[in-house]
Amino acid sequence: MGKKILVVDDDPDVRSFVLTVLEENQYTPLVACDGVEGLEVIQKEMPDLVILDVLMPRGSGIRLYRHLKTDDALKAIPVIMFTGIALRSFLKSQKVLEAFKGEKIPEPDIYLEKPVEPQELVDAIRKKLD
Amino acid sequence: MKIKKLLFVTKFESLCYDALQSLLDLRKSGLEHVVFLNVIEREKVSMRRGKGYIKEDEVRLKETANIRFIDWAENLFEMGMEVGAYIEVASLIPKILDVVEKETPDLIVIGRSRKGKLEQLYSRSDITELTRRSPVPILVFKHLAEGKMVPAKLFDRPLFATSWSNSSEKAVSCLKELGEVIGELHLMHVVNEKKLNSSDTHDVQSVRKNERNRLEDLCGEFAQKGISARPHVYVGDPETEILKAAREYQATLIVLGFSDRTALAERWLGSISRNIADKSMFPCLLFPVKK
Repeated sequence: MGKKILVVDDDPDVRSFVLTVLEENQYTPLVACDGVEGLEVIQKEMPDLVILDVLMPRGSGIRLYRHLKTDDALKAIPVIMFTGIALRSFLKSQKVLEAFKGEKIPEPDIYLEKPVEPQELVDAIRKKLD
Repeated sequence: MKIKKLLFVTKFESLCYDALQSLLDLRKSGLEHVVFLNVIEREKVSMRRGKGYIKEDEVRLKETANIRFIDWAENLFEMGMEVGAYIEVASLIPKILDVVEKETPDLIVIGRSRKGKLEQLYSRSDITELTRRSPVPILVFKHLAEGKMVPAKLFDRPLFATSWSNSSEKAVSCLKELGEVIGELHLMHVVNEKKLNSSDTHDVQSVRKNERNRLEDLCGEFAQKGISARPHVYVGDPETEILKAAREYQATLIVLGFSDRTALAERWLGSISRNIADKSMFPCLLFPVKK
């Protein structure tokens, strides 16, 4: 069985695209539709990697990412951000939250702006896992 | 009651980023999360004679909405806010109520519906329908095509017309939490002319004095929360007088409790809040009866 990769995205078309890429490359895909469900799956399944959207209902990817990186049991799980939100906006939001909450969070391992070609996604996953 | 999370319902042509921006002052009093909702009407993507269901139309409409939401969300994320979004093909009111249940917002923001008079008589406006069924206060913005600019600071000079009802009490509890954003609050009560039928001047003046005292007591409660408030008693038809006061004091917003008339009575006899929300040029913050 391949390594477990969780896809957290509210768009069914995106989930379907990522799932196909993962299955074709012998990974074991897990899915969640929003930030709240994503955290539940992470705690239950402890995936090897998380592919995370930002703009989602019931808890954004920003909130989930901060949760992951501040939880000692989960902070080692690598995260690939996979979103339409610009990296500049993501980093700026982290700076504002850092100043407000007083906790510094590391930048995401890899940040991919949608859309990407399947090979680009595979390369990013391999870079983190293999 | 603090406004920490708001649900922003938009069709884009009626409610845009300028309306959202005028609400961002609420961050000073605790707003931290905005959820966008775009409901694509079923008719726009439904079966067409000779063509069937057009998937491309749905994809195009959803992606158009998504592009706008991403742009708005980037601005809000950069301010350190939490943002969520729903884009759904559905019926408007059931979908809003569905999202309200999932997200539990403290305020719904929606543009005014533009149904014809006959259509409103039989099907009621979306606002009326929503106020009947939602447990959450509703802020009604006006249609952009009406050429009304959204005030930069929506809560700068709110006019709160109290009827001393259960829903007005909810409005009081919410406004008290907005000390950081309210410039000056105008409190008013409209005395019905029927109450002044007495030929005795003393009786008429007593009615005015009693209402004024009640309003002054309420102003005192607001003062304790750091909100400057001024009382005003008006006499006459409530709908006309509330709009008159809003113009006189250059209100940025009208705050109203919704009546607890039955749906049937409201449909045939009308409702002050509904009429003001539907007709006036001012944004209206409506507090529903339902708990």
